[in-house]
Amino acid sequence: MAPELAIVVTAVVLPFVASGVAPLVYRLAGDYTGYFGAVVALTCFGLVGTQLGSRGAVALPWVPSMDVALRFYVDGWAVLFALLASGIGALVFTYSASYMHDERSLARYYATLLAFMGSILGVAFAADLVVVFLFWELTSLCSFVLIGHHTEDRESRYAARMAMVVTVGSGLFLLVGVVLLAIAAGDALGATTFDLAAMLADTDAMRATLRESGLFVPALAAFAVAAGAKSAQVPLHFWLPNAMAAPTPVSAFLHSATMVKVGVYFVGRLRPLFGGPEWTLLFATVGLATMTVGAMLAVVATDVKELLAYSTASHLGLMVAGFGFGTVYGSEAGVFHLLNHALFKAALFLVAGIVAHEVGTRRVDALSGLWRDLPVTAAVTAVAALSMAGFPPFNGFYSKELLFEATYEAAHAAGGLAWLYPAVAVFASVFTVLYSLRFLGIFLGERPAAVASVHRPSLALVVPPAVLALGTVAISASPQLAVDTVVQRGVAATSAGRPEVHVEFPTHVSPPVVMSAITIGVGLAGYAVYDRVRTAVAALADAASFAHPNLWYDRLLLGVEAASPRVARTVHNGRLRTYVTWVVATASALALFGYATTSGLAPGVESTRITAAMGLVLVVAVVAAVAVVIAPSHVVGVLALSILGFMVAIFYILASAPDLALTQLVVETLVLLIFLLVLERMPAFYGDLRPRVVARDAALSAVVGATAFLTVVLSIPDAGADPTAIARFYATEAVPSGGGTNIVNVILVDFRGFDTLGELFVVAIAAMSIVVLIEMRDRGETQ
Amino acid sequence: MKTTARIVVPIILVLAISLLLQGHNLPGGGFIAGVLTTVAFALIYVAQGLDYLDSGVLGQEVESGAGVFEHRSVTAFRQTFMVGLAVAVASGFAALLFDEPFLTQTFVIVEHLPLYHELEFASALAFDVGVYMVVVGVLLTILSVVGAE
Repeated sequence: MAPELAIVVTAVVLPFVASGVAPLVYRLAGDYTGYFGAVVALTCFGLVGTQLGSRGAVALPWVPSMDVALRFYVDGWAVLFALLASGIGALVFTYSASYMHDERSLARYYATLLAFMGSILGVAFAADLVVVFLFWELTSLCSFVLIGHHTEDRESRYAARMAMVVTVGSGLFLLVGVVLLAIAAGDALGATTFDLAAMLADTDAMRATLRESGLFVPALAAFAVAAGAKSAQVPLHFWLPNAMAAPTPVSAFLHSATMVKVGVYFVGRLRPLFGGPEWTLLFATVGLATMTVGAMLAVVATDVKELLAYSTASHLGLMVAGFGFGTVYGSEAGVFHLLNHALFKAALFLVAGIVAHEVGTRRVDALSGLWRDLPVTAAVTAVAALSMAGFPPFNGFYSKELLFEATYEAAHAAGGLAWLYPAVAVFASVFTVLYSLRFLGIFLGERPAAVASVHRPSLALVVPPAVLALGTVAISASPQLAVDTVVQRGVAATSAGRPEVHVEFPTHVSPPVVMSAITIGVGLAGYAVYDRVRTAVAALADAASFAHPNLWYDRLLLGVEAASPRVARTVHNGRLRTYVTWVVATASALALFGYATTSGLAPGVESTRITAAMGLVLVVAVVAAVAVVIAPSHVVGVLALSILGFMVAIFYILASAPDLALTQLVVETLVLLIFLLVLERMPAFYGDLRPRVVARDAALSAVVGATAFLTVVLSIPDAGADPTAIARFYATEAVPSGGGTNIVNVILVDFRGFDTLGELFVVAIAAMSIVVLIEMRDRGETQ
Repeated sequence: MKTTARIVVPIILVLAISLLLQGHNLPGGGFIAGVLTTVAFALIYVAQGLDYLDSGVLGQEVESGAGVFEHRSVTAFRQTFMVGLAVAVASGFAALLFDEPFLTQTFVIVEHLPLYHELEFASALAFDVGVYMVVVGVLLTILSVVGAE
């Protein structure tokens, strides 16, 4: 079934439109804006739902003459991700309506949340890599605004900036990867294109070209950094726990279910293209390392949301590791766990929000026995936490089984060190069981005396997590149904062949079952001595404090903060002549570098035609130039400079370029007049000359002069050569299509009118900045 | 100096306008004409001082000691380049009305006119007028604002 262009475009664009009108809606409807958002999200959910089962690319032509189009690619993987984003979005909006009741700047909040949802849908469906990049960075931007929702809070600003630096910074790696892929596509597919769908349609040719040109590993590494930072993989995981400064609905939506999964989603997307030994080594290792580190840190966490954040990193590691393995089980684990994790983790975050909202604290140690006061929430937590721990028969168990199967298969096939894969997977899963039980523990037992009273949460707070828990239960009850509906198609899209997926409750003993049994057994045993495990892991974390990436991030930022003013003091010290020095030196250096790398510095001019009159004019010009330098007073200098200018004008006339000559004459006159205006304000004596400064200036002047000379010599066409095609076009077409015999003018206003328009804007902006500068100074603002 | 300026300035202005109009076929064009016009105004400034344009030509009182932005002429210059930009952009958009790409230019030759016999009307002239106004406005704004210092 081919996808419907109108439906896909509407689903992506609708949230952005809603985001635009959200402030208006908020003014009219207040807190009910949450329900407005929920309706929008549900509409998107319905629209995307109609595309279930379709596969193919659709394009909205934009600039057809240049083959630029807004392309969308629809397949099971994209639809699954979009369904999750819009479905959980609807629940989070409902939840927000009640949870964010007392907060400020809600218009901004809802507008950003809607724009975020649109961006996620955009990433899911975009088929053009440039569009992917655009939406990818948009999600980071929205995340920045949402994490920094409490703008007056220092901690939240710090967290927002960190998330921004890490995710947007790594987004640049995505751009590098995109460009590398486009270059490779130029050879493999016959044309430089950013069309991801075309690349995925011919993965063999793409892979061969990438390998041949040696771009395979660099491109893979660039994508790995981008996806790893976005999906909080070690060692770039540290921004995610800090991002918990965001309001809880944001954490549930962005930092568990959707944004952090963009990296995983993209890893799955590229899997058919890059799959191979390097791929497995990189992603299986990084994923399992993240799974372990995240799970261990989650055990240490003291804050409920911090626990969930580290656990999210750990589960993202599980998905990345799953996609890392080449077998079909790997991609099954990744796709199925993406679905399961989104359901149970969003539910748990919403539960954490309810606890914080109704009890007033998020400290793990201060909470227990809440099941009496929050029975429904406790039931939801039981389902979600047990699923997170991977207890049978919950859905988390099935996807974890698939990962165990994948690690076992990989180890069995490769042997040797590869046996570490299953070992590490089991080791990390033990900690997963531990912290899942610990989270569940805040509802069990007796209520501590310190917790005075617990409010009943409103219906809007309880229903969204309950819906997610119901989803979890439904998938747990009939995993094969979920697999048939969405997972199978996702697996097909992220694998090379067309594998069949079967999930059922294990009835006989197999390696994965044994691994699960070990995990659960050791986990339950470990929970009895939870405090001692926690102390041990905390001691380990302290011992490795030198390796905390957060520390390195802080150092890097401090270093940049310290270094920037130093650069500014050197380059921008407020003196015009320093600016000129740097600008002309840089320009000359760049130009010379360009000549050296492209054409070589050897000029290729054979003959020039200089008449006697020209020679005379040029001699006068040189004399004037020397006079400028040795002039005893400003007046003499300015006059000598004018002589130089007028000589150049005369040279233009002799070289039959009347337009240039006219311009030069007029500009020269104006410059002379301006000099006359300001001359009396100039100081007559600047102080003694320092030999070092003079030498530096002389050297710089010589370099600039040499650059200009080289430019002229290199750009002169050979005297005997034919005019270029462009020159011929201008000469022959000026009269018939431009209607003017002055070619220079026709070029300026007709053929290259766009350039002229751009220059007009530049000139106007320059004037405005001068006016603003002087106006600011008149008002006493000197800085 | 004042007498010279009085005689020369009108001549320069007429020359500038003719350069603007003939620019499509003979040396000239919006940029050159704009700079030349600025030269004429600069001559006035050098000869008569900054306030002359307001008090002598526009006939309004100028408070001595008032900031440069109270000068009516400066406001006029700023408006000139804004209008110029608008003209240039609008002339570009005009092409869209005829279903042509942005900034497409064309021309019509009208024949059998008295005196001229034939006259060419190029749509590029509108764009060139925009160029002219921007150049004049920008240069005069800078000149008068900086000159007032």
